[in-house]
Amino acid sequence: MAQRKAQHYWRSWEEGPGASEFVQISRDEFAESLDRPTEQFSRRSFLKAAGFTATVTALAAGCSHAPVEKAIPYLIQPEEIVPGVSYFYATTCGGCSAACGVLAKNRDGRPIKLEGNPEHPLSRGGLCVVGQASLLNLYDSHRLKGPLREGQESTWAEADAHIRAQLETIRASRGAVRVLSGTVSSPTLRAQIQTFLASFRDARHIVYDALSSSAIADAHQATHGERRVPHFRFDKADVIVSFDADFLGTWISPVEFTRDYASGRRLDTLPPRMSHHTQVESRLSLTGAKADQRIRVSPAENAAWIESLAACLAKTAGAALPFALNGEVGPHNSIIEQLARRLWQARGRCLVVCGSQEPRAQILVNLINHLLGNYGTTLDWNAPSQQKAGNDCELEALSEELDRGRVAALFLLHVNPVYELPNGPAFRAALGRVPLVVNFADRWEETSSLSRFLCPDHNPLESWGDAEAVRGVYGLCQPAIRPLGNTRSVLESFAAWSGDTRSAYELVRAHWRENIFPHAGNAGEFDAFWDRAVETGFVSTAVQATNAKPFSFSALENLPKISTPAGLSMVLYPKVAMLDGRFAENPWLQELPDPISKVAWDNYACFSPAAAQRLGVQEGDVVRLETTTEGGATTSTELPAFLQPGQHDQVVAVALGYGRQGTERFANAGPKWLFARSGVGADGRVGKNAAPFVTLRDGYLQYVRGGIRVTSTGRRSALASTQGHHSLTMPKDLPLVGGQHRDIVRETTLPALLAGDFKAAPSPAKINGLWPTDHPYTGHRWAMAIDLTACTGCSGCVVACQAENNIPVVGKDEVLRHREMHWMRIDRYYAGEDEVDVVHQPMLCQQCDNAPCETVCPVIATVHSAEGLNQQIYNRCVGTRYCANNCPYKTRRFNWFNYMREDALQNLALNPDVTVRSRGIMEKCSFCVQRIEAARIEARRSDKLIADGQIQTACQQSCPAQAIVFGDLNDPSSRISKMVQGPRRFAVLEEFNFRPAVNYLAVVRNRDASGKSPSEDRSNG
Amino acid sequence: MSRRVVIGTFAEEGGLLAFIRAARSQGLTLVDAYTPYPVHGLDAAMGLRPSRLPWLCFLAAVTGAALKLLFEFWTTTVDWPLNVGGKPWNSLPAFVPVTFEVMVLSAGLTTVFAFLVLARLWPGKPPARRLPRATEDRFVAVLEESDARFQSSELRALFEQFGAEHVEEQLEESA
Amino acid sequence: MASQSRPFDIPLVAGRKTPADVTRDICRSLEGKPTLLWWCGFFLALSLLALGLSAVSYEIATGIGTWGVNRTVGWAVGITCFVFWVGIGHAGTLISAILFLLRQRWRTAVNRSAEAMTIFAVMCAGIFPVIHLGRPWMAYWLFPYPNTRGPLWVNFRSPLVWDAFAIGTYFTISLVFWYVGLIPDLATVRDQLRGGFRHKLASLLSLGWTGSFRTWHRYESVYLMLAGLATPLVLSVHTIVSWDFATGVIPGWHATIFPPYFVAGAIFSGVAMVLTLVLVARKTMRLEDYITARHIDVMCKLVLLTSGIVAIAYATEFFTALYSANAYEEFAFLNRAFGPFGWTYAIMVSCNVLVPQLLWFRRVRSNLWVVFAISILINIGMWFERFVIILTSLHRDFLPSSWTSYRPTPIELCMLLGSFGLFFTLFLLFCRLLPVVAMAEVKGVLHVGHEKEPATGTVTPRPGVEEWEIANMGLPGGAA
Repeated sequence: MAQRKAQHYWRSWEEGPGASEFVQISRDEFAESLDRPTEQFSRRSFLKAAGFTATVTALAAGCSHAPVEKAIPYLIQPEEIVPGVSYFYATTCGGCSAACGVLAKNRDGRPIKLEGNPEHPLSRGGLCVVGQASLLNLYDSHRLKGPLREGQESTWAEADAHIRAQLETIRASRGAVRVLSGTVSSPTLRAQIQTFLASFRDARHIVYDALSSSAIADAHQATHGERRVPHFRFDKADVIVSFDADFLGTWISPVEFTRDYASGRRLDTLPPRMSHHTQVESRLSLTGAKADQRIRVSPAENAAWIESLAACLAKTAGAALPFALNGEVGPHNSIIEQLARRLWQARGRCLVVCGSQEPRAQILVNLINHLLGNYGTTLDWNAPSQQKAGNDCELEALSEELDRGRVAALFLLHVNPVYELPNGPAFRAALGRVPLVVNFADRWEETSSLSRFLCPDHNPLESWGDAEAVRGVYGLCQPAIRPLGNTRSVLESFAAWSGDTRSAYELVRAHWRENIFPHAGNAGEFDAFWDRAVETGFVSTAVQATNAKPFSFSALENLPKISTPAGLSMVLYPKVAMLDGRFAENPWLQELPDPISKVAWDNYACFSPAAAQRLGVQEGDVVRLETTTEGGATTSTELPAFLQPGQHDQVVAVALGYGRQGTERFANAGPKWLFARSGVGADGRVGKNAAPFVTLRDGYLQYVRGGIRVTSTGRRSALASTQGHHSLTMPKDLPLVGGQHRDIVRETTLPALLAGDFKAAPSPAKINGLWPTDHPYTGHRWAMAIDLTACTGCSGCVVACQAENNIPVVGKDEVLRHREMHWMRIDRYYAGEDEVDVVHQPMLCQQCDNAPCETVCPVIATVHSAEGLNQQIYNRCVGTRYCANNCPYKTRRFNWFNYMREDALQNLALNPDVTVRSRGIMEKCSFCVQRIEAARIEARRSDKLIADGQIQTACQQSCPAQAIVFGDLNDPSSRISKMVQGPRRFAVLEEFNFRPAVNYLAVVRNRDASGKSPSEDRSNG
Repeated sequence: MSRRVVIGTFAEEGGLLAFIRAARSQGLTLVDAYTPYPVHGLDAAMGLRPSRLPWLCFLAAVTGAALKLLFEFWTTTVDWPLNVGGKPWNSLPAFVPVTFEVMVLSAGLTTVFAFLVLARLWPGKPPARRLPRATEDRFVAVLEESDARFQSSELRALFEQFGAEHVEEQLEESA
Repeated sequence: MASQSRPFDIPLVAGRKTPADVTRDICRSLEGKPTLLWWCGFFLALSLLALGLSAVSYEIATGIGTWGVNRTVGWAVGITCFVFWVGIGHAGTLISAILFLLRQRWRTAVNRSAEAMTIFAVMCAGIFPVIHLGRPWMAYWLFPYPNTRGPLWVNFRSPLVWDAFAIGTYFTISLVFWYVGLIPDLATVRDQLRGGFRHKLASLLSLGWTGSFRTWHRYESVYLMLAGLATPLVLSVHTIVSWDFATGVIPGWHATIFPPYFVAGAIFSGVAMVLTLVLVARKTMRLEDYITARHIDVMCKLVLLTSGIVAIAYATEFFTALYSANAYEEFAFLNRAFGPFGWTYAIMVSCNVLVPQLLWFRRVRSNLWVVFAISILINIGMWFERFVIILTSLHRDFLPSSWTSYRPTPIELCMLLGSFGLFFTLFLLFCRLLPVVAMAEVKGVLHVGHEKEPATGTVTPRPGVEEWEIANMGLPGGAA
């Protein structure tokens, strides 16, 4: 059906009904003369339109929908907009409900890059992979171009007429109206929905998150009498204990948490501050990879651990509990007591978080945090997080209503229940019984294809809006480009249906005037306040202290029983790139190797090596995973197996967000040639949908499923893994050198570091080379330092680099052939067997002074600049690949083919400052030389020197952990010069005298000097 | 002007050798000898001085090498110095291989061209003298009847004395 | 000179030939109709060549991505073929130049075909560096020429530039050397044939050669000089090829032993290839009297010797690696022998070291079928030697994170076959168009071994001859 409908729409701008002038422009962007009459949509007027200088846009486009009003670019006034000069709009990321602040880098009227907004109070300049990649969602030719009615193209007028007519009848017949949405972080939209629903007798707005944290809110309902998700402050925590919460990867607000976490582990400050982080988890998460102490437990054990920790702490605190907690967790009491001791010593300075959806577990965690007096310190109760507002109970209720055909009108806002809910098929059926189904989805997917009315929303970069990440922190969304299609903001849609003709801009502005400006505290004009908000992209207002209700121990009276999954249990988790699959059609996200498994373009069944051995499964075997519900219905899927060290032996972990409708498009991603293989599975999609294994049980979406049966299908399927070898110790099967360790990542423990007897590298290499050097670096000397202690491996830098440097997507087959093009990669190494330590090492061109690649190039296509850059001259390169062979770090990438973009529209996201490389030439990290040059030009213009920190490479800019520092080594006062002085500094393969310009700071673990974490004791014990 | 030459053909290289020694001792002017392969000792018998080509070869080698080395130095150090892998502008050791190759090339080609010029050989040139069997298995001596003192009969006798199987006289345009 | 110092009693040419016989025998092959065997060979070679050509055109049209190489293994079959063919190309010049300088007169029967082989092999070799480029149409950028880019010259520090010059020079000099050697024979052909294409060709290329001794006199000194130039050249070429790897930093490449090791390997493979060809040629062209069992015998010993040198090289580099106490070096070699591509290493050692040991036995050396088989095995082994050096060093280098594997695509294999197609097409054409034996030189040595007793047609080497031959096998020292 999708196909039949799909071919009704046009695939690319060229085929489009009356090909949009936008692409017309983009095509002859450089062809036309400047003195072109403005009646035509000329480049100049296009620029103005894009810059949103109001009137011009109106007559240039004469668009049917509301005219676009004046917006003020960040720092630069619109009249200064010059072609070829980038300017930034401060707005809010629409990637997920975390609502981080972003700067949309605009060039010639189109956004070409998203960067973290350094001034945003929460994300503070960081941006995750999803945020970075969400740029491509804007330039996606699969987005709907306008409203649809019964799958037919329609006009807004027509759609509105029909919808309002139906609503009238429903209002008369007092039918039930439901709005089903994901977390709506926009206060204006929330208000708008309420006003819309107000006019109906039986109307409700139901919110759920596909990656639900509902249990946290409910637990607080129980213990603190209010349904809130407190604002977790990892920066204030000196001791962090996380039970299965992947807060550095995907949990609630990873960018903010990473930033806070990193600021809690700053070793360059004096005295160095380093929080202690214990991770109790069943699969190896990004957070677990970073932990000082990592404890593998099965999902079943997890609750028991929490309970005994609570018991232990209650004993210590001498708190009288109304009931007895079972403090026994078998052999591990010593660890529990140690945990409790550590936490107790850091009362009020510690934080215990839990990712479980078990209300009992969450309530006990609240108890723990209460006993430790963390409420008000590391858990901010007054300014709770608005990022996970989902309520699974209401969702459950709604599905019952739907089943009984009670719902007259259903509005689906940025959710895809048919795909992401366990009872998707039932939901699909139920939708058929709803007379009026309106969907705001921007594309043709599982749910939207069943909706009678499709009212596509703008892309966040096209529309006005706002977002409240944490109470009191309001982000503003402003358009960075004129809408590409005839879409309409949800705000306007709801307004229109409640008889309000105001534009999104007016709605937001009005809402801010009434509800936010008053609390802003600062007197003065609203207009000034508004302009400032538009400039900076956010405002913070005072939150009135709502004193938390006392912790009600009564909540503990009748704790809900834990449902302990039996046997082999499946843990369903989100990948940092794919999350719940909302952006499954984003090639950057699909091609990003998972930071832990290093596998791209697929999901897979992760087994621990031991479990795999027990089940007789090899990596790459396609296994059949089956389970039976109480009802006797069996759920099953077939996935390739992946061996994941550090995972619990009773667990098979499967990533959500795959097998999405629409990923068929990637069948022909990548080059087409004689022996090219398709990039999608047998069912034509990328990966398999694991959502059917999720359960919606007594009011909670559960991501753990017990009683999994594993059977081998005998088939094999290769996984597109980008990293060949897993550890720095050489393969055991080799004689003599087997088990040899390579000193590529250096690490130590906090005590050792503080004792001062640690030195990562003998000394900044003073090896006498064979040659006399003719090359003193007198001017600038660019260098980079990467703090491996801070780096979490989140891979934001990888996508940032891809976006900044026009790095093509090569598709699964090419990744399988080890030809991925990422200039920056995150190397991941394991140490240990079952209880693994993980290190992440961002690896990019090391810009060696004695570069092996330069010497061997026959045509001088790669040479050294006077400022220490290893330059690649694309148009001189003939493609001998000798340089790549001779690169000790293998950071050079070769254009094996001409890499066409799978979606021509994505070419609009290209960065004009960076050459698009053609077939047959070598490329690699350039230290973002275009940014260096831009800074140089700016410095010349303003007759100043380039200030330290003025140049930020793409990877550095968006690093949430601020692990990357770039600067001038010849400037003694620069941050980099200071960083390379420390004892943690080392360079990879320094002993070979390549003299790399990239320095690393050794990994430091907060452990006793032996470097052993208690968990290892346990495994030995 | 034209001249008379006597052409004697021998079956054995020995005959030719002996004949030529005798002829030259009698002061006869030997135009040339024609053999299917280089006969040892014949150069001495004919009193040919060793060729001067080796000197030319040496000269070409030295010049070629010197020029190339200079060129490499100039391109990397003077004309457009580029920092390649931190190596010094003038990375002399790295320039040796190419220098050597160019030396061999220039020496070889010069020598061969010089030879072709000296021996007046060029593509498609018709043979100066049609002596088909001289390129197969016969050894030919060509004498010039320079002065009248000599009777052709005596000359013929001299040939036959050394076992020439065929002797003839020709009138030919002297070069 | 050793060869003059003692009387010859082993005829270099069997069956008491007169110079006229020589001329007739050699020119016969030019006049008569080609044998069926020739046609089969030619058709096979031609079809392989066509296959290779289509593969190359597809690759150039589509991209290097049509090969199996990847971000870590940038070179594989392509460059392996390059080194392989360059190696093959060494025997020709060795036999024609070095053995000439060492007065190894047995070379006369085989040097012509060996030189031809050299030229064709170098042609095959020359193709690969060009087609392995990402942008082959830019290949001329490897040569320094005045241009509008600065002018931007080339990087004389890069072994690839050295390569370009070495291969270019080697090809030119070999061609000239070969042609100079051909001139007198072409004259013979010209005078033998009555009309016809070959006659015209010979007339054009024989440059009006008459056999004038004044010319012969100069000719000899020129030939001597060319031999003198070609000898260091042939050594330099593979030395430079080996520097492609030795100057690299990759463990397994970065080895000072490479130049002698590569040169020995080149002579080894080259002589093996000469054996292969000569054995075929003498059957198809009926040259048993000229390429006698004695020639085969001598070359077998040459193979045996070079095989020994290669074996020592293998052992040495392994020892050096382990003795270096450099973790990366040690790993590279142990991975080479026992890693995922250990099987290639096994092929290399067994074909290049073990199999040739059979040649110690005279009965093996005199059984031409066995010799033929051995020569083929050695060619295979030597191809794998280059493959091992290139692949096993690259695929697992410094950072374990970038380790990959490699699997050639059909396109690559077609190119490999294609190069053999080209080689044999050219060689078979050569057999039909030009004298395969240097007539003038052979005529010069006809008398050798025939002064004393009348030859019995068949040649029976006397005891004691072997040792003498080995001593004069064309080794430095053997010359004294």
